[in-house]
Amino acid sequence: MTEASDGFDVRAFTRTAQGRFSDELDLDMFATQPLAPDDRALIRFLARVEGASMEHLRDVLMTATHKDARVTAFLVTWAYEKQWVADALGAVLEAHGEPSLSAVADGRPLVRLSEWRARRGPLWRAVASIRHGDAVVAAHMATGLIDEWVMAAAYDVLADRADNSPLTKVLDRITAVRRRHEEFFAGEADRRLRESEKAVRLTRSMLRHAVWPIGALHRGAADRERFASAVFTGAEGRDRAMAIGTRVAGMTRMTAVTGARVSRILRQ
Amino acid sequence: MAFDIDEYAAGSREVRWDDLDLDHFREHPLPADTLRTLRYMTDVEYHTICYTRDLLTTPSRADDDVARFMVTWNREEFWHGEALAAVLRVHGIEVGFDQLRANRLKFGWRDALDPAGQSILGRLVGPDFIAVHMSWGAANEYTAVSAYRRMAALATDSVLAQLLRRIAQQETKHVAFYASQARKRLAASRKAQLITRFLLNHAWAPVGSTIMDRSEVRFVFGQLMSGPEGTAEARRLDGNVSALPGLSGLRIFSKAFGRLLTEAAPA
Repeated sequence: MTEASDGFDVRAFTRTAQGRFSDELDLDMFATQPLAPDDRALIRFLARVEGASMEHLRDVLMTATHKDARVTAFLVTWAYEKQWVADALGAVLEAHGEPSLSAVADGRPLVRLSEWRARRGPLWRAVASIRHGDAVVAAHMATGLIDEWVMAAAYDVLADRADNSPLTKVLDRITAVRRRHEEFFAGEADRRLRESEKAVRLTRSMLRHAVWPIGALHRGAADRERFASAVFTGAEGRDRAMAIGTRVAGMTRMTAVTGARVSRILRQ
Repeated sequence: MAFDIDEYAAGSREVRWDDLDLDHFREHPLPADTLRTLRYMTDVEYHTICYTRDLLTTPSRADDDVARFMVTWNREEFWHGEALAAVLRVHGIEVGFDQLRANRLKFGWRDALDPAGQSILGRLVGPDFIAVHMSWGAANEYTAVSAYRRMAALATDSVLAQLLRRIAQQETKHVAFYASQARKRLAASRKAQLITRFLLNHAWAPVGSTIMDRSEVRFVFGQLMSGPEGTAEARRLDGNVSALPGLSGLRIFSKAFGRLLTEAAPA
């Protein structure tokens, strides 16, 4: 594997990471063009999931993924950039006089029996990692890629619903950050799925039981339900979920069955 | 003084070396012993993400401040690795992703179970385990600051010395975080003090000991911590750690470095 495998230069990515940009945003505009409470509530949820990268890294690093230095170099910077995306969203909320992200705790978590696999702890993951080996990296890359699609859908819904020019500028900055994440995950998933039958089997299996967006698993029930209602409920929501399912089915060596399962997960 | 995580994160910058003339090493290459020590430090810096893995398995991950610190800390340590690797590269020593992966693969399946062990220990001890991690982290970061400063002081090459001082400066912020967290948590819990004291006294070893060959650990700390100045520095570090609540009298640095220097001494 070369330093710039699949054309994605991880070193260049780490060197050009987006740091704090909330101080570059024109937040004063919200004084005359404030966001509605529902939009602010959705923003708070999105900020919390963007800032929850360490929760995801815990699960990922328990596995063989931690040995791949190129992937971990990406993930360190990925977490860093997501932290500042969360910060920017938090700044939007504070511009409306709302408390900071850290001042508001997550509510009672949503407990779904179907998510028990996603809640498995480090002990199980560490032991399972011996059996899974390197194949698990493909599954993590695929999960990350789908997360980009899910969050893109959420940001699109927010932008359309809010129809708010200052917010659109913030979301455009966030989209630019996430675009490179999508590029990395797509390239890695494609290559690894092409190269390994075991990676294909494990990825299909893990995608059937994953939870999106990444970081949602430990968020409050009300917030998760609000997110699902806004993004994947109703006719348009169903179309979004199915569109993502179609993209999943089109991923290297993935199937329509896997795509359909992902669509159903999103619409729970 | 309380550690301001927001200020730390917002003020974090990648350590710079683009303004240093690394090409200078083509005419004035560093000695082999220096490169050997730099290689050790590079590997340790790049290994931070793996150490983070162990932290994440325990109650430490659930603490917001600790989780937020880990994001920026990891990025800064990664950049330390990149900076040192840039110096090594000019000397024809490549520390690329493939090399790092090969190093990590050498640890085998036992490495996969290390976090499981941490997780079990974390569950048995409970939230007080965060105090152990913070104290352990403080000890490691004190070692890092000291090592970089000692190496900068011993370096005859001004370009190297400047880079090492920059890295050391960033490491002081890591010390500040870990030490402030350790102080707060140890002060709040006698149980945390007892467990931390026991584990530091019986299990702590200089940073890099778990991932580098013993011969390299001996070599590096023999280079940096020998002689009267090294002994004095070890005592000073002991003073830092033993000043934490419940850790009075601990001499983890003097013991660990003394052991290494004894192993390294000619028979």
